[in-house]
Amino acid sequence: MSGHDSKYFSTTKKGEIPELKDELNSQYKDKRKDAVKKVIAAMTVGKDVSSLFTDVVNCMQTENLELKKLVYLYLINYAKSQPDLAILAVNTFVKDSQDPNPLIRALAVRTMGCIRVDKITEYLCDPLQKCLKDDDPYVRKTASICVAKLYDINAELVEDRGFLDTLKDLISDNNPMVVANAVAALAEIQENSTRPIFEITSNTLAKLLTALNECTEWGQVFILDALSKYKAADAREAENIVERVTPRLQHANCAVVLSAVKMILLQMELITSTDVVRNLCKKMAPPLVTLLSAEPEIQYVALRNINLIVQRRPTILAHEIKVFFCKYNDPIYVKMEKLEIMIKLASDRNIDQVLLEFKEYATEVDVDFVRKAVRAIGRCAIKLERAAERCISVLLELIKIKVNYVVQEAIIVIKDIFRRYPNTYESIIATLCESLDTLDEPEAKASMIWIIGEYAERIDNADELLESFLESFPEEPASVQLQLLTATVKLFLKKPTEGPQQMIQVVLNNATVETDNPDLRDRAYIYWRLLSTDPEAAKDVVLAEKPVISDDSNQIDSTLLDELLANIATLSSVYHKPPEAFVSRVKTAIQRPDDEEYPDGSETGYSETSSHAAESSGPAPTSSGTSPYAPTKQPGQAAGVAAPAAQMPDLLGDLIGLDNSLVPVDQPATPTGPPLPVLLPASSGEGLQISAQLTRRDGQIFYSMLFENNTQMALDGFMIQFNKNTFGLAAAGPLQVPQIQPGTSARTLLPMVLSQNVSPGPPSSVLQVAVKNNQQRVWYFNDKVSLLALLSEDGRMERADFLEKWKSLPDSNEVTKDLPGVVVNSVEATLDRLAASNMFFIAKRRHANQEVLYLSAKTSWGIPLLIELTAIVGIPGIKCAIKIPNLELAPLFFEATEAVLKG
Amino acid sequence: MGILFTRMFSSVFGNKEARILVLGLDNAGKTTILYRLQMGEVVATIPTIGFNVETVQYNNIKFQVWDLGGQTSIRPYWRCYFPNTQAIIYVVDSSDTDRLAIAKDEFHAILEEEELKGAVVLIFANKQDLPGALDDAGVTESLELHKIKNRQWAIFKTSAIKGEGLFEGLDWLSNTLKSGA
Repeated sequence: MSGHDSKYFSTTKKGEIPELKDELNSQYKDKRKDAVKKVIAAMTVGKDVSSLFTDVVNCMQTENLELKKLVYLYLINYAKSQPDLAILAVNTFVKDSQDPNPLIRALAVRTMGCIRVDKITEYLCDPLQKCLKDDDPYVRKTASICVAKLYDINAELVEDRGFLDTLKDLISDNNPMVVANAVAALAEIQENSTRPIFEITSNTLAKLLTALNECTEWGQVFILDALSKYKAADAREAENIVERVTPRLQHANCAVVLSAVKMILLQMELITSTDVVRNLCKKMAPPLVTLLSAEPEIQYVALRNINLIVQRRPTILAHEIKVFFCKYNDPIYVKMEKLEIMIKLASDRNIDQVLLEFKEYATEVDVDFVRKAVRAIGRCAIKLERAAERCISVLLELIKIKVNYVVQEAIIVIKDIFRRYPNTYESIIATLCESLDTLDEPEAKASMIWIIGEYAERIDNADELLESFLESFPEEPASVQLQLLTATVKLFLKKPTEGPQQMIQVVLNNATVETDNPDLRDRAYIYWRLLSTDPEAAKDVVLAEKPVISDDSNQIDSTLLDELLANIATLSSVYHKPPEAFVSRVKTAIQRPDDEEYPDGSETGYSETSSHAAESSGPAPTSSGTSPYAPTKQPGQAAGVAAPAAQMPDLLGDLIGLDNSLVPVDQPATPTGPPLPVLLPASSGEGLQISAQLTRRDGQIFYSMLFENNTQMALDGFMIQFNKNTFGLAAAGPLQVPQIQPGTSARTLLPMVLSQNVSPGPPSSVLQVAVKNNQQRVWYFNDKVSLLALLSEDGRMERADFLEKWKSLPDSNEVTKDLPGVVVNSVEATLDRLAASNMFFIAKRRHANQEVLYLSAKTSWGIPLLIELTAIVGIPGIKCAIKIPNLELAPLFFEATEAVLKG
Repeated sequence: MGILFTRMFSSVFGNKEARILVLGLDNAGKTTILYRLQMGEVVATIPTIGFNVETVQYNNIKFQVWDLGGQTSIRPYWRCYFPNTQAIIYVVDSSDTDRLAIAKDEFHAILEEEELKGAVVLIFANKQDLPGALDDAGVTESLELHKIKNRQWAIFKTSAIKGEGLFEGLDWLSNTLKSGA
């Protein structure tokens, strides 16, 4: 690029930003205000105007409230992107927080809380302190919320400056709005802290109850939510509290109503007097019903909450079932919820009405709603024994209209009804069988097949019916296949005639040979064995009496229900999930360091040694219990470490020792040994790279593996398989690899055994490996077996033995090879190196200037190797001769020796 | 006569405000000087983290006075305020002899700035009320003011607390700006 090209970067044209900059620095106030408005407008539509930061901040000191607000708005937005320059605004905040106008004081303190820049946080404490004690309640109430915000930014600072105590003092403030906001702030702080910070005492309780009647609706919500966490001392106190809160039920704001309901429900647990409880239930019904006349969205929220309430206190709305009848124009989500509550409220008294409704719904157009209505009828039948017959007759009527999905849904619930009332309503089976051909959904099919199998003795043509299903056996989904298998076995046990016998053959054959579904295969094998060993036992097992079921679908577990009820009027009660299931706090950032330092040293169970390892090297790879979390805990580190054969008890001592040398977590990517050869490059493994090598440690062969995940997803469920090979190498245990997050890697030592699946034919050093995981297809790669890993530690021979062996083997068993690339610089070093690889020195002699070394070795499966090395010290080139009973190993041996000596 | 003068000045300056920066190390007395000039009284101040801006009317000239924080952490941001500046008031704590060398370095760094080439410089040797304070000659020497080239400058002994010397300096400033414009 020539020097003239720089002109392309400078332009004489003025862009929007420089223009705005000029206007912001204008001497005229009006022009500056307009300019700030323009900047805010640009900011609102998403243009980046952060470069005007100082210019905008310079407009901050103005008496014009409108301009000031705009600048504050700008600051909230951009302080984070200009954390250094944000300090320029501090003085103005300090000044504004002392402004004679309380609106400006509050504005300043509110804005300060919204600016999340560490550098300026501490400067804001003094103004905040002043504002918390301001004369004007508006400033105090704004400042109290600011404390909660500050706590989120820097909890320590808040505690050090004593803001928490100031907040607690504000609970006694004479202004109810200040009380409400102080309560809200304390409640929020408590949520983010593990320590008890905000606990209501009987003293504060009185103040809160007083403030409750005076503050705004949202203030009431804060106070009610805080009160619901208060545990009353006894029934009397609970009654008193409830009495004070009951008027809130009449409030126009749904949030207030629901919070009051929550609070009353919780206190009711303590109240023993049945009269009082009954009275309260009566009082809560009308406000809940009123909620259902609001907009559909609010209705839905109310319904989800009511769903929980009626599970705990069905009496509240027992007489109000009519309000839950679906209107034709209700949105589908409201209808579905109403249906659910109708089932819960259905009783012997109102079942006729309810059934009429359900029947009506079952003829509507929305398929999902219709299905749910049909199912609801069945669930009522299961729930109310005396109404069961009526329910079934409704179901039969519905089946008669022959709408496909109605029939299928009906069959599914009728199966449950049969389970609930055995031997009562089987007469309707004939009707069901008429619709057999129309079934196309797995669940309906499975249900029908179950019915046929269960009542095979009463259905004359049960075998024909089943046979019709059997034709398509291989194509059916697993649930249907399982039912078919069981039903056929039942049929055979009930009618051991020729037809079923053939059928059972077909089914068992299909289910054991043709399928690759392990569940199906296992079940088939169990039946097969049962039938072939003891048909009577089979009868006892397969045709055993089943326990009677009850309708517990959509019932929430009692402890969860408690938690959800404590969270009424929050998202939690709408989702029917506890808050921690869907709220992920940014808490991880301020996680206490001591939690991190001792991850789970106590769980590893190796006492001192391992917990020490845990301290020094982060997640210690000593047990499979800790290692799967390693990559998630420290995502920045490349080595998620797998447990190296923690199952081998005799190795534990060594393994702990190994951990430090093998997996230095501090330098994850660089293990101490030489890097492992890459066998499956990332390019052919779709991002998964596998490096591996056979190694030998303390008499045990390991397959040392490194998995590197360069894909975009987490990989887990790793499994490994070795093909038959000359040495019969196979894995001694399952592959222990944790889930590997994208961009991280995992190391593992897989213990290996020999002579497991020896492949016949000419020996070969090739080891074929297959690795799979849950996310990708199976990867195949080849490794070359190094004899080094297979030489045993006890290969040392006595001199005499060596001589004898040498003589006993014919000369034809001697092989010689020159290794030109190897140089012996020192005999001792060479021998040490060979000994480390389990080749042991026997004797040495000098021949002219040549050194002749004799060594012995033994393979793990007991083949002796007699070695003669001839070399001149310092001159490249070495002659290597071995005598060996099994000549095929010679080439492998030469390779191994060359590797050791060159190493 | 008065009306005539007013007209004359306003024709010189329009109703334009002269933009003046008050700079200096922390604890030199900048904020106190600003409010002494503006309100005529001594206010309690805290370290300025950021800036203060006030309009001061004197001698028929409106000064838009920017008082910038003098702490080390804020000094780098002084340059954000340099454009369009007509004058600099550099405040020195004459009694803080230990830090006069730093004050000198900062001062000469400011003079090097391209954007401040046309700005006149007024130096306040402040805190004359304190014992051990250098006089104007001493401060002139310490700040090596003789090295200033191509620029109008003046130094005044001041005490912001007592209100001495400030308006003399402002007189010089208004006259210089008028004649210069």
